[in-house]
Amino acid sequence: MAVFTGVLTLPLLAILVSMGQESVEWNHLAETVLGRYLTNTLVLVLGVSLLVLLMGVLPAWLVTTCEFRGRRILSWALILPLAIPTYIAAFVFYQGPEAAIPLLIQVRQRFGVDAFLLTEQVIRYGLLILMLAAVLYPYVYLACCSAFARQSRAVIEAARCLGDSPTRAFVRAALPMARPGIVAGVALVIMEVINDYGAVHFFGVPTLTEGVFRTWFGMGDKIAALRLAGIMMLVVAVLLALEQGLRGRARYVEADAGGIPLRRVPLAGAKATLAFLLCVVPVALGFLYPVVRLSHWAGLYFLSDAGGSFFPGGAALGRGFGLALVTAVVVTAMAALFIYAVRLRESRLRRFFGRVAGMGYATPGAVIAVGVLVVFGTLDRVAPPFLPLVSGTLFVIGFAYMLRFFAIPLQLSRAGLERIGKPLEEASRLLGHPPLRTFLQVDLPLLRAPLAAAGMLLFVDILKELPLTLILRPANFETLATTAYSLASEARLHACAVPALLIVAVGAVGLLVMNHWLQTSPTSSKHE
Amino acid sequence: MQKRLLFPLLAAFAALFPGGSLRADDELTLYTQRHYGFDDTVHQRFSEKTGIKIKVVKAAADELIVRLQEEGANTPADLYMTADGGGLDRAKKAGLLQPLVSALVEEKVPAHLRDPDGHWVALTKRARVIIYAPDRVKAGELSTYEDLADPKWRGRLVVRSSSNAYNQSLLASLIEANGAEAAEAWAAGVRKNMARPPQGGDRDQIRAVAAGLADVAISNTYYLGLMETSNDKKDLEAAAAVKIFFPNQEGRGTHVNISGAGIVKASKKADLAKQFIEFILSDEIQSLYAQGTFEYPVSETAEWSENQKRWGTFATDQVPFSVYGERNAEAVRLFNKAGWE
Repeated sequence: MAVFTGVLTLPLLAILVSMGQESVEWNHLAETVLGRYLTNTLVLVLGVSLLVLLMGVLPAWLVTTCEFRGRRILSWALILPLAIPTYIAAFVFYQGPEAAIPLLIQVRQRFGVDAFLLTEQVIRYGLLILMLAAVLYPYVYLACCSAFARQSRAVIEAARCLGDSPTRAFVRAALPMARPGIVAGVALVIMEVINDYGAVHFFGVPTLTEGVFRTWFGMGDKIAALRLAGIMMLVVAVLLALEQGLRGRARYVEADAGGIPLRRVPLAGAKATLAFLLCVVPVALGFLYPVVRLSHWAGLYFLSDAGGSFFPGGAALGRGFGLALVTAVVVTAMAALFIYAVRLRESRLRRFFGRVAGMGYATPGAVIAVGVLVVFGTLDRVAPPFLPLVSGTLFVIGFAYMLRFFAIPLQLSRAGLERIGKPLEEASRLLGHPPLRTFLQVDLPLLRAPLAAAGMLLFVDILKELPLTLILRPANFETLATTAYSLASEARLHACAVPALLIVAVGAVGLLVMNHWLQTSPTSSKHE
Repeated sequence: MQKRLLFPLLAAFAALFPGGSLRADDELTLYTQRHYGFDDTVHQRFSEKTGIKIKVVKAAADELIVRLQEEGANTPADLYMTADGGGLDRAKKAGLLQPLVSALVEEKVPAHLRDPDGHWVALTKRARVIIYAPDRVKAGELSTYEDLADPKWRGRLVVRSSSNAYNQSLLASLIEANGAEAAEAWAAGVRKNMARPPQGGDRDQIRAVAAGLADVAISNTYYLGLMETSNDKKDLEAAAAVKIFFPNQEGRGTHVNISGAGIVKASKKADLAKQFIEFILSDEIQSLYAQGTFEYPVSETAEWSENQKRWGTFATDQVPFSVYGERNAEAVRLFNKAGWE
């Protein structure tokens, strides 16, 4: 356990240790830009968190507990925005501020410069928050769906019998019970927002992440940059601790694990239309709009004379694809082991290890990449010469992905475990089964759905991953993401739309498969 | 118990990823910041001519420096290439490059565009200019970079974020020319004159001028070249609505950034690497770049593209590029103080 966490956190520790060293620029940063970075980061985190709750929780509730026209299609379509990388969504949504230029000019002419600057800022921040929320809300939606679906009918009906309206039953019974899931989902969203670089830079909203790169690469002060990265981890840790504190000593135990499934309430007329609209808006913003835009650009590209000349070899892309697949499977297996180890003997220390192992998700990919480079570079230097070099191989990238994304299987299965609670496990142990057998025969089957889902999510996330892949990849190694990035940095938006659409297509298929697994798993109530 | 499971799994993980291919003599590995699809064409030409294959790792300049440092003597890299001069200087300071001795380089590349110790050499140039809307800016109104801080431009100027290396090296050139105090005042003045907070890339600034949001933008010329030859109708219209002005022609000349390369210290193929650099400096490839990426050739005998000829000739700032590398951190500090995001 300690060994594994050690291996996993070595690069993060390498970063943390160097934070304590003397920094030349720290005071200068604190006096000049730190305040702005923090404010921007918090504004984005709060804005996006609120929006993802709206876009994630309500549709999840409607889709799992009500029946209306289009419900079945929407229930899976609502996941699809997760297939759109934020750096691609940024290009698409930046069309907004650009399209607003004539309006802005009008405002400037009629109401003066101050009104203009205010309008400009509202449009830009608003669109950035909307865009981030529109592609990230599925984390919350997914977590809520599985939480709502497994809430036994008994609880909701008890609430109804006590005189609650459906809305009150939702607010008083369903929502509090889904809390671990909602929190897990929002935590993932917050971490994504905090370490985003491309989108915030493009929209001119510098956050702590931009500060990290600017300080490190522009000023050459690694220590100050790492301290900024440390603040980012701190922000996440504080938010999570806050939630834990608010939750107090409450524990979540499934009252009736095999309970009677919920029967969906049929909706009709205006109610059905409203439900449909509430569910369709997030999909339209986070998936349909970007896909339509990208398809339009890709179409223009193929119509032009340059069409088809740039595309990297299928072999290179195949390797990127294979890497994502293998890493997703391995990381999920590792996470299962890790959870087992933590569960084996719960202690403060082990739970702390669990937190640390998940921190990679809140760290910018480039920072992780550097930590990994340091560790493997040192390893190669001290290793006996007959051993092959590790640096520059796919193993390094795979390891870095694990570090970066370990929180996904951890969070998803942790929420699952909390809902399973201890009774089943204690029963098994009382029957004399050893811990490993208990884990394999009791916990693991119950965790199969969250783990499979996590694996698929990992696959999609790795496929979209950019900063870490760019730094660590072996020579002549291209993924769809790096190809899209190269074209975008040349501002060849039309050509860029082709690999971007491919990422979206593969990601969307992956997500649908994941959803299918979740639906047919033994822990979810399936009644199609 | 868990260790028994852990190690086989780790081993399986490792076995899935075979190491990189053994180093062959007919291969060169490039660590490059340049993300241009056009570079592949040049690499292919080199391979056809010499039989040497080019392998590439593309990432940001300073990320590649970290990678070179950590890989040390084990690095597969032979050449380090950037799209901005500052990175080359930092790689040299980190002791990652080795000197290159070549008569051809000395003949083709002006002294201020290469390292005095031969650790790196410019391969192409990019001019950072003023792009303006001719219907709203009179020709006599524009003069120097310094003038852009004048209150007459209040609310009329757009420029990208100061995190961008081109802006950092422009400010470094102003520190060199006028001193730190004046440079900070300049950055603050320009920030006040901005029509909107910095956002997007150079191309988005050109679009903003074309759309009428601002009257002038600071941008590299090649972005305009790419827009002029784009297959996007919007790009063509925007490019047609603006003009290029080369600042400081009366004085020290227009600020020019470079894209260049150096041979990695740990490389055992310095001869092949030199061959590659000399190939890129040949007039044929130099003018190919002028047409493909609209960067300016460093070789004076290479032909410019039609677009570049139309923009016109200009005098360039002759300060040795290494100076900008040294002043980069100071430039970022001044940007921070001036509030230019």
